[in-house]
Amino acid sequence: MADIEIEIDGNVVTAQAGEMLISVTDREGISVPRFCYHKKLSVAASCRMCLVDVEGAPKPQTACSTPVNEGMKVHTQNAKVKASQKAVMEFLLVNHPLDCPICDQGGECELQDVAMTYGSDMSYFSEGKRVVVDNDIGPLIHTDMTRCIHCTRCVRFGNEIGGIAEMGGTGRGEDLKIEPFLQEGITSELSGNMIDVCPVGALTSKPFRYALRTWQMNATPSIARHDLVGSNVFAQTYKGKVRRVVAKDNDNVNETWISDRDRFSYEGLSHENRLLKPQIKLNGKWKEVQWNEALEFTVRGLANQVSDNQANEIGALASNTATLEEFYLLQKILREMGSENIDHRLDIKDLENSITLDSNIKLTELESIDYGLIIGSNPRLEQPMINHRLRKAVLAGADIDVVNVMPFDFNYRINSENIISPYQTATILAEISKSVLKSVHAKNYLSNVSARDSAQSIANRLLTADNSVIILGEHIINNPQAISIAKLISEIAQQTNSATLNISATSNSIAAEMANFVPGQGGLDANAMLAAKLKAYILLDIYPEYDFHNSVKALEAFGNNTFVVSMNSFKDKVISQCSDVMLPIASFYETSGSHVNIDGKVQSFAAAVSAPSESKPAWKVLKVLADLLKLQGFHYEDSTQITSEAVNQNRQKATDERPVSVIAEAKRGIDVIYQKSPYATDVLLRHASALHATKIGQVHLASMNKSTAEKLQVERGKKYLGVPVMVTESVANDCVFINARHPIGGKS
Amino acid sequence: MIDKFGKLIEDFSLSELRGGMQITAKEFVNKKITVQFPEERTPISPRFRGLHALRRYPNGEERCIACKLCEAVCPANAITIESHRREDGSRRTVQYDIDLFKCIFCGFCEEACPVDAIVETKIFDYAFLDSRKGSVMTKERLLEVGDNNEKAINEAKAQDAKYR
Ligand code: SF4
Ligand code: SF4
Ligand code: SF4
Ligand code: FES
Repeated sequence: MADIEIEIDGNVVTAQAGEMLISVTDREGISVPRFCYHKKLSVAASCRMCLVDVEGAPKPQTACSTPVNEGMKVHTQNAKVKASQKAVMEFLLVNHPLDCPICDQGGECELQDVAMTYGSDMSYFSEGKRVVVDNDIGPLIHTDMTRCIHCTRCVRFGNEIGGIAEMGGTGRGEDLKIEPFLQEGITSELSGNMIDVCPVGALTSKPFRYALRTWQMNATPSIARHDLVGSNVFAQTYKGKVRRVVAKDNDNVNETWISDRDRFSYEGLSHENRLLKPQIKLNGKWKEVQWNEALEFTVRGLANQVSDNQANEIGALASNTATLEEFYLLQKILREMGSENIDHRLDIKDLENSITLDSNIKLTELESIDYGLIIGSNPRLEQPMINHRLRKAVLAGADIDVVNVMPFDFNYRINSENIISPYQTATILAEISKSVLKSVHAKNYLSNVSARDSAQSIANRLLTADNSVIILGEHIINNPQAISIAKLISEIAQQTNSATLNISATSNSIAAEMANFVPGQGGLDANAMLAAKLKAYILLDIYPEYDFHNSVKALEAFGNNTFVVSMNSFKDKVISQCSDVMLPIASFYETSGSHVNIDGKVQSFAAAVSAPSESKPAWKVLKVLADLLKLQGFHYEDSTQITSEAVNQNRQKATDERPVSVIAEAKRGIDVIYQKSPYATDVLLRHASALHATKIGQVHLASMNKSTAEKLQVERGKKYLGVPVMVTESVANDCVFINARHPIGGKS
Repeated sequence: MIDKFGKLIEDFSLSELRGGMQITAKEFVNKKITVQFPEERTPISPRFRGLHALRRYPNGEERCIACKLCEAVCPANAITIESHRREDGSRRTVQYDIDLFKCIFCGFCEEACPVDAIVETKIFDYAFLDSRKGSVMTKERLLEVGDNNEKAINEAKAQDAKYR
């Protein structure tokens, strides 16, 4: 759009034709008060606070809904504007209770600030005020709707960003009420953002209620490590504790939004289950000791178990939530000792068949795709911020096709939803591949494939779209043909000039790959390590019951005659059963480190608070451990030195030679797709109580269709693998989709 | 020379001594103003800023709503408050401490309070004999001061009301 010149308060500024006046004043740093305008939401122009005087217009105009024109002359400070601002402020306060002293928004309230700056200092209003009865809208958001000024930001947030119209206005005039449409309240996975957008104290954080005033806290920028996006947040701290987490703007990562998971996980930090003191096991009894004793015990234990030339009897496993630096140091220790048994892929059944697929599209580019194909994922719950970008693309006209084992609740229009059994996933991709290749130079594994209509049409879309992306999700990781699926995807993407996005592993798994936290030449992978029953294991924030694909095998491996060093932020029964020494480590926001997001962007953060009691940041523990083990090359002053070493190390990617096979095994059983509840994916989340009270956090179901249920001889109301059974015909044949909050029993 | 002579006369006429004795003689017959503290007390302004008190409403409910404005305004950082949500859903303090060794008796806390909960009474004759800890007025002690002096506080407030 062409640049034009307008005059604001006598100064000439350039603007783009058609843009709203308020964005020009914002850019120029001219203050215009507002309530209903929000830069990421549509314009409502309902509060009238942003009135400015435009020469030639008979009345003041709302800056948020007045497009700029060449030669326009605007006044933001003259008497007419001041008088209107004062009048609007007075109207807005007519029904506002002015209970700032007990309002949690006090101190960060837009109404308070604007009333102080633009309002009148006296009130002559003596009539009664309106009172609105509150509904309970869920465990995350507390409402005080008497304070609502009807700006409709929360309503627009639901419609435009959250994707579900959960909040709305009922009644008119004096009776207008903003309330949830449904009894069950607000259930969106992004709902916490409503707290941020609400300019007054009508919507506030429930877990934070009445805890502190906003001015008491310090805000430290940090990164949430619960998903592949690494949303930018502020950890707000008070007396050495994280008391609230709010979003930090970063247009390349999370815009202004964060998921509820990122916002409320901090609650887990102060859970009573935190491991706070180093402990060693002597004759089967736990004893709390000093750090030096615990570390010496560790070094001695490792030395006793493993003599000099037996380093390959040691294995290291780490959870995906570790930081880049922790991954790097732990793998360096192992490699310096001479062991290549290093792995972070704990929940994959068959690591020979594990997915390798590069992501080659940036988060911001996801918005401008015109076609997307999602395979094996429910991105809304698994990667909420990636889903948000996809939603934006769909609203802009993109089409999305889905290949899944059951229909999920997408918050945007889906072009076609292909519900197929897991063993057909590779087949349908082969069909797409065949249609794409048009059999001109077809591969031999495609010879027996004939494309069904749906595959044909997906192929056509991929071929015709200018910007398309194929997304590979978490549900595929244990598909028997996972590697073929990944290879077919990259093949199709190449042929159709599409991008690929691999969201099959989450948290900080990309950092693990970057730090080379995978078995090297001759090293054992996670499953092999468990099967081999090594003599010693070093576990970094691992909870065997939850984290392993096969927890039974893990517990066997960590049983007698092994020396298990657990570095944990939380304690649990299983971990104390199977370890010999427990070293308390810092959790989220308590350590400095880095997260690597799906864009490959290394986002470093400092510690917002120090680790509680005697726990220490894991990178420091690992560094001291390396020194005690007399390993060379661990002289780091701070974590940033480790970061640069980790980022700059030379890593070659091995080429994947595994063959593609699309023929499903003739006789097969039931495929189980086990997906942890989005609020149980890591240990901190598992201890965040408010999240677990939400509808999403409550889901604990094994869904299957009737014929599968008959084959498994279960029915509704019974349990399968310890999870309540839900029989619904919408699930594909021969598979069970488990969404579980607790560990499930007897996975094989 | 003249100066020296004048000084000599002044010295020998005992004029300074007589001036002093004159004041003594006048005060001898004047009304006495010495106050026999603690039996006697000087009048105190209703705005006097002495020992703090936390007040209650007539129905016994504590006034303080844990807004922490007093804590925020206190220039000496003498006030420490922890708040919570009471079972009935209202916002209340769990801890309300004023360290009187830090306090500079500026009265800002009283000015800031939106519900007239924290006030400074006319009490100034107190001492902390036990320990350093005694200087920290806890919520219980502050409420006790308030309960014992509600009448005086009320009167002082009433007297001052017309100037506000
Ligand atoms: S609840 Fe808040 S965001 Fe929603 S309409 Fe009312 S004031 Fe606006
Ligand atoms: S009188 Fe002044 S210094 Fe003393 S507690 Fe009140 S505000 Fe603080
Ligand atoms: S004493 Fe008054 S100002 Fe201080 S917290 Fe209580 S209500 Fe607020
Ligand atoms: S901000 Fe312009 S009318 Fe509300």
